[in-house]
Amino acid sequence: MRTATRYDRQMYALMNRREAAPLHATAARRRALVAVHVALTAAAAAAWLATVVADVFWATFAMLGLLLPWVVATGGINAATRGLLELRGRMLDERQLAERDRVRAIAHRVTTTLLLLGTAVFGVLLWTTGVEADGGLVFAVLFTALVVHWLMPLWVAGLRAEDDVHGDADDLA
Amino acid sequence: MSEQVHNRLAVVRAERKVSRQALAEAVGVHYQTIGYIERGQYNPSLDLALKLAAHFRLPVEALFSLEPFPPLTQEIYGEHGRTTS
Repeated sequence: MRTATRYDRQMYALMNRREAAPLHATAARRRALVAVHVALTAAAAAAWLATVVADVFWATFAMLGLLLPWVVATGGINAATRGLLELRGRMLDERQLAERDRVRAIAHRVTTTLLLLGTAVFGVLLWTTGVEADGGLVFAVLFTALVVHWLMPLWVAGLRAEDDVHGDADDLA
Repeated sequence: MSEQVHNRLAVVRAERKVSRQALAEAVGVHYQTIGYIERGQYNPSLDLALKLAAHFRLPVEALFSLEPFPPLTQEIYGEHGRTTS
């Protein structure tokens, strides 16, 4: 915790608050939390794309309505990982830094596989069907890839988080 | 690559009545990391192992070993127990 700024200390305290503990106490709950987060992300991204690409006015309100539960779910995953991806490196210990590296490596592998599959499917659609890749479609695909690339480490970290062993914080046994 | 490193951290910590939280703060790690080490889920760096040993004023080999530790009672009283006379 050397050279920690006030911001670092505030974030560390925030990420280690236990109020949300029931949300991520078991592996099943963490899987559900990540699944909900993926669904909310997909819905919010679709609503945003509908707003900017297809000019669907009401989608803006749908996106704004999804924002709050998305933030809560994000906070839940961050609490489960004790801020593994949110805290600066200097606020993490050696085990957490090693875990963060593992999470990023796994997320990179998963994202690479998804991009490979996406590229193949998109290519097949373009060349074998009458689908035309106009600017809106290309933007939607790129935006989706960006969101997946951005959030995959969070999802992986949420799935890899482990239960807090009873009394981990203060037991003497 | 990673070899199992055995440790006696939980035993020593209980004997000295030090909580995981207090030990973690003393050596500058997250309290969960102490639990990971005690359960053998994480092998500490040499730096951290030395800090833990220094905290308990013990040689590092009293806390960590590549061989499983024999039970303390066996170490003190021998294989078949010891009679006091």
